[in-house]
This record gives sequence, C-alpha cells and structure tokens, in this order.
Amino acid sequence: MNVAVLPDPLAWRAAAANRPELFQTLDAGSRIGLIARTSPARMLVWHAGDEGIDVQDAPFPGFATSGVDLLLSADNEALAEIVAAVQGQLFEALRCGIRSGAVVCYMLRRRCDLEAKGYDELLEALGFAFMGACR
Amino acid sequence: MKPGEQKLPYLFQPGQFGRFKIKNRIKYGACCVSNYNTRDGAITERELARVKVIANTGCGIITNQGAYPDPLGEGKAYFRQVAIYDDKFLPQFEKIAAMIKEQGAMAIQQILHAGRYGGIDLGYCVQPSDVPQTLPHFRPPKIMTREEIRDCVRQHADAAKRCIRAGFDGTEVTSFMGYLLANFNSRFTNQRTDEYGGSIENRGRFMRELIDGIKQATPDNPLIVRLNGAELMDKWGGNTEDECFELMQQAVECGVDMISVTVGWQEAPESSIGRDIPPGYWNYLSERAKKMFPNTLVTFGNRLPDPRMANDCIRDGIFDYWEVCRPLLADPEMIHKAAEDRLDEVRRCVGSLNCLSRLFRDLPYTCTMNPALGHEVEPEYHVTPATVKKKIMVIGSGPAGMECAITAAKRGHEVTVFEKADRIGGNLYAYANNDLARPDDLHSIIRHYEAVARKLGIELRLNTEVHAKFMRSVLHQYDVCVVAAGAPIDREAFAHVEGHERLVDALDVAHGRIQAGERVVVIGGGKIGLTVGEFLRKNGAEVTIVEQEKRIAGDIKPSFKWRHASWVEELDIPCRTSSRVTRITEEGVTIVNDKGDRSFVAADTVLLASPRKPLHELLHEFEWMIDELHGIGDAVVPRGLEQAIQEGFRLGVRI
Repeated sequence: MNVAVLPDPLAWRAAAANRPELFQTLDAGSRIGLIARTSPARMLVWHAGDEGIDVQDAPFPGFATSGVDLLLSADNEALAEIVAAVQGQLFEALRCGIRSGAVVCYMLRRRCDLEAKGYDELLEALGFAFMGACR
Repeated sequence: MKPGEQKLPYLFQPGQFGRFKIKNRIKYGACCVSNYNTRDGAITERELARVKVIANTGCGIITNQGAYPDPLGEGKAYFRQVAIYDDKFLPQFEKIAAMIKEQGAMAIQQILHAGRYGGIDLGYCVQPSDVPQTLPHFRPPKIMTREEIRDCVRQHADAAKRCIRAGFDGTEVTSFMGYLLANFNSRFTNQRTDEYGGSIENRGRFMRELIDGIKQATPDNPLIVRLNGAELMDKWGGNTEDECFELMQQAVECGVDMISVTVGWQEAPESSIGRDIPPGYWNYLSERAKKMFPNTLVTFGNRLPDPRMANDCIRDGIFDYWEVCRPLLADPEMIHKAAEDRLDEVRRCVGSLNCLSRLFRDLPYTCTMNPALGHEVEPEYHVTPATVKKKIMVIGSGPAGMECAITAAKRGHEVTVFEKADRIGGNLYAYANNDLARPDDLHSIIRHYEAVARKLGIELRLNTEVHAKFMRSVLHQYDVCVVAAGAPIDREAFAHVEGHERLVDALDVAHGRIQAGERVVVIGGGKIGLTVGEFLRKNGAEVTIVEQEKRIAGDIKPSFKWRHASWVEELDIPCRTSSRVTRITEEGVTIVNDKGDRSFVAADTVLLASPRKPLHELLHEFEWMIDELHGIGDAVVPRGLEQAIQEGFRLGVRI
C-alpha cells in the first residue's frame, strides 16, 4: 500500500494558478481542503484571498473545525495519483477519484451557499454532476 | 382464479405474516415520501386521495409512507413529510389504516427517522458521528448523545404504539437509503468510540435497541426492518456486503419479523435504482438473505419492476414477498392487470426517477408515466365518460398524441391518430433506439400505446401526413383536431452559416433514415445531441459535440444529467462548450469559442441537434378548418417525455 503523502504545498498552489478560471470566481475566504483518508493528520488548503489562491499546510483539526467549504478526502492510492497529476491533469484526476469513490468530496456548506461563494466552476470541474441523489 | 393468477401462481398465492393472512405475495413498499402534506406534518386530503389509490392496488401488504417520530423534526427529511410524534395526528392515520384494510390488505406504517438526511427545517441533522455531507442539500451534522439516542429509541417505540392504536397491523423502520438506522450501522457515518460505535456489534446496538423497543411496545404486531444488502458506500469506508448481512443477522436474532432487503444510499457513488441498472441485477442480495434466514420472511423489489420476474423469484426462493412501489406509481392497476392476464396493457415504470428528482427539489413527487399521480383529489384529472361524444383527429403518434388519444377514447370519444411515419411513437422511437441506458424501457411505452390503442379501437392511420390540403379533404368529418406533431430541428437557425446545406438532421440519423459517417460533429449538447452522439460513438464513430452554452445537458433531468456526463467521459467524446460553428465544408467544421479562438474539426457528417422549433404553422393553418383545435407537447413548446405525457392526458381528460 502507498504511504499517504500530501502534495507539495508550492505545487498545490501552482496547480490552482494553472486553472484560474476555476478559482477566480471564489469569494475571498473560500477554502478547499485535502486530507489523507487513512491518516488525516494534516490538511492542505487552497485559500482564496484578495491576491488569489494561497496554500496553507496545517494540522487537520477534524471535520467540524476544519473551516473549509469543501474537503477532499483521498485514499492512499488516489493521493498518489493526485501527487503525480499535480503539475498536469490534476482536476481530471480528482474528478476520476471522486467518481470511483477513491476520493470523498465532503460538502461543509449547503449548495446555495457554495454557489453564492462562486463555487460553480470548481464543482463542475470536480464532476459534481456525478453526485446526484438516488440513482 | 383469474387467468393471470394461474400464470403467476407464486405471486398470487396467499401468505401468512405473523397472525395475519395475506391475500398474495405483494407488498407495497414505502419507496417515496409524497410531499403532499402540510409543513407541520399533518395529512392532507390530497394525501388521503392518493392513499385510496394505493389501497386499491391489490397488494397483500401495504406500507404507508414514512412518518417522522420526533417533535423537533430532526427525523424529517422532506418539507411536507407526515409526522407521528403526537396523538393529534391519529385521526388521519386511522383513516389511512381503514382504507388499506377495507381492501383486504395488511396495513403497515413506516416510521422514518432520516438521520443524516433529516432536519430539513432545522439548521442541522443528527448523526452518530461528525461526518460531513457529500450532497450539499442536506444539513450539517450534530452528534447524538447517549441520552438523545435513548430518547430517539423511545420516540420510535411511542410512534409504533400510535400506529397500532390508529389501526395499523404492524410497523416498519427503515435504513433505506442512508437514514438514521443506516447511519448507525455503517462504518462510514458511525465513528463513535462508545458502546454505539467501533465493532459491528456496537454499530448494530442502536438497531437492536430500536427493534427491542418497538417489539416491547407492540408485542402482538409484526415489525419489518428495511436493511441494506449493499450500501454501495464501501469505497468511501462504509460497510461491505458481508457486514450488511452480519447486521441483518443481528436484526433476525433480535426477533424482527420480516427483513426488507434494499440497496444503496442516496449519496452512494454508484447507481442502484436508475434505468441504467438492468432489472434483476440486485436479486443476489435477496437470495443471500433468504438463504441465511430461511425462517424469517424476506421481501425485496429494488430494480425488479416485472410481476413475471417477481413470480419466478418467489418460486426460486429468492424472496417471500415482492416489494414494489415505483411500478405502482406508474400504473396503480398493474397488479389487477397481471391477475387478469393483461400485462401488455401495463404502463411500465421507466426508471426516469422523476419522482425522486422532484423530492430533492423539495417538490411533491410526480410520475413521468402517470399524469394523474398526485392529482387524485382533483375530479378534473379523473377519466370520466364524456358528456358529448366527439370525433377526434390527433396529428402525431408520439407520447403526447397517443396519451391524448387513449385518454379521450377511454371517455367514449371516437379517435383517429394520423402519423406520417410507418410506425407510432414519434421521436420516442428514435430516442429508444439510441438510448444507452435501457432501450427496452422506452420501447415499452410504445408497445403499451399500441396494445391499449388496439383494445380501445383507436384507428391508427400510418404513412399519412396531415397538411392544409389533407385537412380540406376531411372537412366536417371531425369535431376536434389535436396537433401533437412534435418539434423538428430548426435548420433556419443555421441558415446564415456558410455551408449550412451540409447539415444533417440529428433526428434523421436517430430514426435510422440517414447513416452518419465515421467522423461526426454534433451541434447541440442537449438531450438529442448527446443521445445520438453517445450512440454513434459507442458504435465506433469519432464524435465531437459543439454546444453554445457553457455546459452540456442543459435540458436533461437532474437524475439523468450525471449519466450523460459520465457517458461523455467514458466514451471520450470531446465537448466544445461556449462554442459555435461558423463554417461547414466537405472536410469538417470551423468552430469559434466565446474568447474568439478559432479551430477546425474534421468531419464527414455534421449533425444539427438543436434548436427545435414547434410546429405552430399547423395550428395557424387549421384554425378556420375545424370546430375545436388544440396543440400539445413539443408542438407547443419543445420539452420532453414527461411534459408530452402530462399534456396529452390533461387534454384527453377534458375534451
């Protein structure tokens, strides 16, 4: 089994910078977290600020106090794929992981709040259409 | 014994459930909450009228839809769900129990605490642990304390007592599809470290206490528990199938009287009950339950819509009772038609999941196939004999035209359907032929129309196009003309594009009238363009979809949008969104996106799939040629199957 390693924070920031169309509509203060599902000790966060997307690497404080809007929880194999794709087709890898179940995308805000905060493009890129109820 | 009962002897054989004799092996499942009631949980006349139809379905056991058991509404999943936390609700439940029992059925009341999917009026939902939602229309979680768990069990027991006092014969609790019981059972949502979490023994404790509490409160009445045979959540850390069956074992050992085997959670990353799942796919789960618990009754029905399949399953020991709901939403007469050997007249559930799509938009449920569902209380939706019998001509034999023709004929009108093609069905036929999910479901609609039209004596005049000249030739022969001729693709919208004469109508390809080449560009990423494009790609063509909007699938229902999106990905179909075609040549098309970037896609066939234009000209031309003139379906506004059927029925019922 692969060891759970989060992507390099600088590469994670660059990945967001490479897809500005997904992030430029986000309100300042919007936060998207990434954790390792098997050992969620640390959390990598895309943080939308006035100057664009910043990255924070901090201890994972648990779901309730994570302070993120979306939380991507990846199993070890998916995490390895995310790390490998961070400089390339990252959002395709994330979407594929979400669809296969290797990545759980937790929504810590209601859809109307997410839409109001400008998450439409990012949710679409993550394949939100796959996550309908009762299929 | 009726002829159909002889053909389906296992389904129609009597059964025994506890001290209750059951007239057949069919259980009406509480698959959907109707959302027809008041915001504070009281049952409405609309609901009672609906229950009367359910009571008359002919099922041996009828389960009334889930009622939430707590006064705060933490268990409430739907805005207009019924409540049973107080005696004030009893009079209406008494009416429901009486209606069911008057028809000779056993009456079961489901108690539904939605857990993770509950608290719809509150700012939170209750769960065993703090596991956030994956579907953002649900509420953020609040962890239940031990005291709250004990209260919850007591509320269920009190609710069960209330059900029996109302006249129900038994009760049911449900984990389906990810409700509170499932939340405790599952490793995904139960991460507690106390006696209610951790081991499977501990995770099952809440269920055992629930069963025990209800059994103690209602010792003389059977209890059914609906439990997942597969959560489909195991990829997210939920229970494996083996664990699901261990939990069933706990329920059986705890003395539950019937196990209802179910599949999937609402948020599961896999399909469970949609049209893309073949009928019978999940039978193995029920078979496993029956083998494991031969002395406990097992009921099952997920994605098992056909009475003949259910009969064979009972014969083969796969389950004891067929649990059926959605097929009876589509056709409440299905059991009677099966008993009378009239299965060809059954209006099948096509698994569009319109019912659930509506619930998750906080709307009352309706049915694509049954336009009267939800309107039972309204006399305007009842098929009653016409006061004045009329001669009606219907132009077009798609779903709108056939629905109108059949409804009008049932009322005593003399109906003739004119169809320019050599078969009925209109564009539904093309849709069925190109559908990747389950073409037979869509073809079944056409077969149903054919069978019923034949029995009602509706004249079908195929290969007959109706235009002004034809109308003049039948002047004064008809009292009513209904234009249901659909909406063709609007080529005029592309008349300004260089090379537009090379455009091929996507519907011509879908109908098989024109063969597409090996490299295809489809203009329009809506329902028609995607369906045709996916089919061509599946059969080996290179397909590119060009859509002027930002997203594809804009006109597709939420319950099926995800399926098209995934087919497009799986089949590797490039989608050029926010783009338009500016030039078409023999070699291909030139495309410009919203940033002004120009590109070329090689193609030997360019299909036009959008927009569609309703045939208003027929309405204008015929206005002075007939006493009554109506338009329905796509001929008025291009939409979809549901609207076609609804409008056809609504006109047919009032002409």
